[in-house]
Amino acid sequence: MTAWLSAIGIALSLPLGLLLAIIRWRRVAVLDGVLAGFVSLIRATPFVTLVLFIFFVLPSLGIELKPIPAAIVALTINTMAFSSEIWRSALDSFPRDQREAAEACGMSEFQALRRVIFPQIWRSSLGPLVSEATILLKCTPAIAVIGVVEITRAASRIGAETYEPLPPFLLATVLYTALIAVLVRGQRYVERRVANRYGYVAP
Amino acid sequence: MADPIPAISVKRLCKEFDGHEVLRDIDLDIPAGTTTCILGPSGSGKSTFLRCLNWLEIPSSGAVFLDGRRVGGETNAAGKVTVNRRELAETRAKIGMVFQHFALWRHLTVLQNVTEAPIQVLKRPRQDVETQAMAILEQVGLADKAHVYPHALSGGQKQRVAISRALAMKPKVILFDEPTSALDPEMVGEVLAVMRSLAKGGMTQVIVTHEMAFARDVSDTVVFMDGGQIREVAPAKEFFAAPKTERARRFLS
Ligand SMILES: Nc1ncnc2c1ncn2[C@@H]1O[C@H](COP(=O)(O)OP(=O)(O)OP(=O)(O)O)[C@@H](O)[C@H]1O
Ligand SMILES: [Mg+2]
Repeated sequence: MTAWLSAIGIALSLPLGLLLAIIRWRRVAVLDGVLAGFVSLIRATPFVTLVLFIFFVLPSLGIELKPIPAAIVALTINTMAFSSEIWRSALDSFPRDQREAAEACGMSEFQALRRVIFPQIWRSSLGPLVSEATILLKCTPAIAVIGVVEITRAASRIGAETYEPLPPFLLATVLYTALIAVLVRGQRYVERRVANRYGYVAP
Repeated sequence: MADPIPAISVKRLCKEFDGHEVLRDIDLDIPAGTTTCILGPSGSGKSTFLRCLNWLEIPSSGAVFLDGRRVGGETNAAGKVTVNRRELAETRAKIGMVFQHFALWRHLTVLQNVTEAPIQVLKRPRQDVETQAMAILEQVGLADKAHVYPHALSGGQKQRVAISRALAMKPKVILFDEPTSALDPEMVGEVLAVMRSLAKGGMTQVIVTHEMAFARDVSDTVVFMDGGQIREVAPAKEFFAAPKTERARRFLS
């Protein structure tokens, strides 16, 4: 369950975060300000609070979500806010002359983003994004508050039933470590390939 | 012999940055097939002027024409600029640009750097573009580097790739902003040689440079700028033999 939820959360939040970042980077009027506020708000909100808000407060506004969709929405929104900051700093630090070279050739802004900027910034953002994903993983216990069974919750339940809390928690720790190790290994692998091929790690 | 319509025509171009006037009332015609060098002291507005030609810098007022067609969009009397993105992109496709620090795309090989824009922007078939790109790389002496990434090249080689990238678009004009200023001295020659052969081949070039010997020997026209204005426009030989303005004399000495 943990792996599943996190995978969906990551898969949804990275592109959404990129979209937010692009909107803010282009300084689209009004939207930019609104999103800046939204992102700071989410970043300042403890994850548990966000989960509770989505599950318990949204229904009173007429939006009712089952626990699992609610968990996914919470994970996605949270990670989207953080990842949009990562994308934005990558966009901001992208070499100006490479972008101008694209525009000077007659590429549209979208073409420049798709063909020149994105293929380079995803590589430099990989490290920060993986740490973000790791944090996302560690957030998953919070969704237990709305009754979704993830690793920690399962462990405490087993512990309570068997009166032997230690083994399940050790197992839970091992599982988290394994999930995070998989992510980090994946990151290292990609970074090494990028470095070998292009001769640089991150711009 | 010269085309009656100038390749580039600049009318009353002004540019200010936050109220600070950087270019004032620039008028200039650049005939097709000529090489023009822009000289002037640091901060005189040379780069800004060059970047206004393809609207990388949007002029505060005035107009630029490429082959008689207005570049970019409209600026009305009040200085309000409306940019037509699509038309601007179409015009830019006809204006090559070479940057001081090469600005190669680091995630693409030399060949891909050269073929990217013709394929993506001009929508030409990959096969054709690659054949043509190889011919250009051959011409600048880099055919053997086609499949390496930019990081593996020397500065001089990078700049020759950047020129090839511009040439692959079959541009009407190529703009150069100090193309040799970031190079080690021993590599300056190989880049200037490419530009010299382009000049011979009749390419229209506008070059901001500090290479006086090159400006004297290769360019047809010298434009001397100071304090955001054009102070002197003269045939290269004349300019170097006998500059008409006091400022230019001081600049040359
Ligand atoms: N983006 C900008 N914002 C504000 N001022 C600028 C900007 N770009 C250039 N300027 C100013 O405009 C003036 C002209 O700059 P420009 O770079 O065109 O000079 P230049 O002739 O190319 O100088 P150099 O030989 O040093 O390259 C300078 O005073 C510079 O500080
Ligand atoms: Mg300059």
